Amino acid sequence: MEERTPVLEMRDIVKVYSDGTRALNGVTIKVYKGEIFGLLGENGAGKTTLMKILFGMLKPTAGKIFFQGSEVHFKSPADAIARGIGMVHQHFTLVEVFTALENIILGKEGHGLFSKIDVKNAKKKLQTLMDELNFQVPLDVPVENLPVGIQQRIEILKMLYRNVDVLILDEPTAVLTPIEVKELFDVLRKLKAQGKTIIFISHKLNEVMEITDRVTVIRKGKVIGTVNTSDATPQLLARMMVGRDVVLRIQKKPHKPGKTVFRVEDLWVKGDRGEDAVRGLSFEVKAGEIFGIAGVEGNGQSELIEAIAGLRDVEKGRVYLMGKDITGKKPRELYDMGIAHIPEDRTHMGLILEMSVMENAILGMYWRREFSNGWRLIDWGKVEGHAKELIDEFEIVAPGTRRPVKSLSGGNQQKLIVAREVSKRPEFIIAAQPTRGVDVASTEYIRNYLVKLRDEDKAVLLVSADLDEVLQLSDRMAIMYEGQFMGVVKPDEVTEEQIGLMMGGVSQ
Amino acid sequence: MNTGMILGLTLGSLAAMVPIVLTSVGAAISERAGVVNIGYEGILMLSAFFGTITAELAHNGWVGLLGGALTGIAIGIVHGVITVYLKGDHVIPGIGINLIGYGGVAFGILAYWGTAGQHQVAPNAQIKPLWMDAFGNSLSPMVVITIAVAFIAWWVLFKTPFGLRIRAVGENPEAADALGVNVELYRFTAVLIASALSGIAGAYLSVDWLGTVTKTIAAGRGFIALANMVFSGWDPILSLVGGLIFGFFDNLAIYIQNNPWLAGTIPWQFIATLPYLVTLLVVAGIIGRARAPKWDGIPYKRE
Repeated sequence: MEERTPVLEMRDIVKVYSDGTRALNGVTIKVYKGEIFGLLGENGAGKTTLMKILFGMLKPTAGKIFFQGSEVHFKSPADAIARGIGMVHQHFTLVEVFTALENIILGKEGHGLFSKIDVKNAKKKLQTLMDELNFQVPLDVPVENLPVGIQQRIEILKMLYRNVDVLILDEPTAVLTPIEVKELFDVLRKLKAQGKTIIFISHKLNEVMEITDRVTVIRKGKVIGTVNTSDATPQLLARMMVGRDVVLRIQKKPHKPGKTVFRVEDLWVKGDRGEDAVRGLSFEVKAGEIFGIAGVEGNGQSELIEAIAGLRDVEKGRVYLMGKDITGKKPRELYDMGIAHIPEDRTHMGLILEMSVMENAILGMYWRREFSNGWRLIDWGKVEGHAKELIDEFEIVAPGTRRPVKSLSGGNQQKLIVAREVSKRPEFIIAAQPTRGVDVASTEYIRNYLVKLRDEDKAVLLVSADLDEVLQLSDRMAIMYEGQFMGVVKPDEVTEEQIGLMMGGVSQ
Repeated sequence: MNTGMILGLTLGSLAAMVPIVLTSVGAAISERAGVVNIGYEGILMLSAFFGTITAELAHNGWVGLLGGALTGIAIGIVHGVITVYLKGDHVIPGIGINLIGYGGVAFGILAYWGTAGQHQVAPNAQIKPLWMDAFGNSLSPMVVITIAVAFIAWWVLFKTPFGLRIRAVGENPEAADALGVNVELYRFTAVLIASALSGIAGAYLSVDWLGTVTKTIAAGRGFIALANMVFSGWDPILSLVGGLIFGFFDNLAIYIQNNPWLAGTIPWQFIATLPYLVTLLVVAGIIGRARAPKWDGIPYKRE
C-alpha cells in the first residue's frame, strides 16, 4: 500500500519444533516506523512464537529477518535489545526481590564492574523517561510489592532505558484491569508520538480495533491477511482470526429462575494482609440463574470466592447451600455436596500442569467410586474413558489423554477445567474469570455452556473482571467495590455510565 | 573470671570464627548466584592437607594459604562445571567432595608423611601471629583479613554491578539472560570465589590456627558454615555474628576441657558437642525468616 520501506520485515518465517510441531508456516510481516502494528490471532496461532524468533529467543527453521535495511540474526534477547528491539512478555521477567531501579539497570549499570553503582544518575535518567511518558513508578520498592500494572510499566521502562526503537508487547492487557488498560494505551500513544514503533500482540478484537494502525491476522501459523485498522470491523477481524463467523453476542433465551440454591448472609472475610476484604455481603443465587459479580479486580472478589469454596476462613456470617449451612466446610465436602469451582487462576489452582490430561480430569473427585476398581484402587481404564468423554463432549484439542496438560493451549486447558467441574454434576457452579486468557472460539464455547447450565436449572455464580462478559451472561449482576456491593441490577436495565460509577465506588 | 581468661576466650573465639565466616561468606556468594554446594567440609579437609604441603615446601605459611585457595578452586571447577555448565544436580557432587575429603586426607597423611592420622606442621611453615603474649594468647592476621573479607563481600554484593548480576542470576536467571547478563559465567565465577574462600579457610586450620593436620581437621565446620549462612540470611556481615557465636562456644568447650574441676563434673563428650548444639539452636530459632534466593540450587537452561 505505502511506498515506504518497512523498518522491520520478517520474510517467510518457518518454525518446526524438535517434536515435529509446525508452529509457523512461512509467515511474512512488515512493520513501518512509528506505527502501532497489531498481530492478531487465537491462542496457539503462532503469534508468540513469531515474536520470540524476532527477539532472539528462538531460532527460525527457515526465513529471514530484515531490520533497518539489513539482514539480522539475533542469537539472544540481549542481541535484539542491542540492535534496538525490545519485548515485554506476557509473563514478566522481573527479579521479584529487586527494586524497580535494580531491575531496570541490571546489565547496563554504568562503567566499572566493581565500582559503586551510580544510583543518582540512573534515577535522574529514569525520571526524565517517566516524565516524558507522564507516569510514575516507585523506584525503591521491591517489585513483588507492586501491582501488575506497575510491574508492566517497569518492564516497558526497562526496554526504553536501553533505547529500543521497536517495542513488542505480548498480550499486554491480559493481566490488567480496565483502568490500567486505558492507562497503558495512553502510554503507547505517547511512545508512538515519540516515533517508537510498537508491535501489539493480542487476541482481543476491541483492543486491537482501538489501539492499532494496521493489523496482520495469523491463524494456525499462516498469515490470513493484513488490513488497515480504520478499514476493519470487529466482525471482519473475528472471521479472519477464527476462520468462520463468530457470534460475538451470546444468544440467551429468557428463563424463569426457580428456588434459591445458594445464599450468603452478612459475610465477612479477611484478606492476606489481615484487612477486611469482604465486608458484610448478602446475596442469593437461584436455580436457573446466572448471578454476575463485576468490578475492578482486587476489591474482594478473590477472597469472596475462596471463602465460598472453602479455601479461606470466614470471619463472620453464614453460607447456605440448598438450605444447609456450609460455612467453614472443607473443599472436598463442598464438592460432594454439589458445588463446582472454576478457579480464577487455571495454571495454579485449576490444573497440575505436569500431570496428564486424564489425571487432571479427575482432580477433586478421584476418590469417587466411579473411578475405582474392586480393591478401591484407581481404575485407570475408567479414568481414561472419563477423560475421553470430556474431550469429545467439549471439543477439547488434546494430543492425547496421557500427555501432560501443559501441552494443551490455554483455551483448551480452560475447557478441560470447565468440563471436569461440570462432570461433577453440581447444583451450584462458581465460575471465576472463566474466559481470561482464552481464545475467541473457546470463550464463545464456555460462555454458551454457562448459559446452557442455567437453562438446565443450575445456579451459576459468575465473577469476572471482563465487564462485557458479566453484562452479556448475567440475569442479575452486582458491582463490587472494596468488599461491598455498590448495587445489584439487571444488565438490561442499567447504563454503562451507571456501572462505571458503581465500579468507582458510587453506590446506587 | 579474670582479665587474662577473658582475653584468652575473646582471642580464641576470633580465631575459631575465621574458618566459619570465610566459608559462610563464600557460600552466601555462591547461593546468591543460585549454586548450592554442600561440599565445603570436603574442601576444608583437602585444602588443610594440600595447604600444609605447599607451606612446608615453600617454608611459608602464606604460600600455604595460596595452596589452599588453589585446592579449593580446583574442586570448585569440578563442581561448577557439573552444576553450571552440565546442568547437573547441586547436592550430589558435594556428597562426593566430602567423602573424598575424609577418605583422601586420612590416606594422604599416612602416604605423604608416614604418620597415622596426624601431622604437626613445621614451625617455619606456619603463619606468624600479629600479636602474642607470654601465656600463648595470640591474634592472627587472618582474623583481621576475615572481617575485612566479610565487609568487602557485602559491599560488592549490594553496591556494585557485579553483585547486582550475581544476585540476579540466583533470583531470576531468565530476566538476567534477557538483559545480556551471562548467567553461566556469573554462576561459575561465584562458585570459584566460594571455593577459593573455603580453601583459604581450610589451609588456615592447619598452617595458622591449629598448627597440625589431622584426619578429622574440618570437624563439621563446613556444615556449620552452611547453617550460619542460612542463619545470617545470605548476608556476609551478619555471618560474622554467627561465626562469633560458634567460635565462642568452641573455645568455651576447650576451656572447660582444660579445667580439671569442670571437666570432672561434666562429661567431655557433652562439652565437645556444645558449639554445634548452640549454633544449631540459634540457627533453628531464626531460620524461616530469611528467604533463600529463588533459583538457589536450580540449573538454568535456556528454552
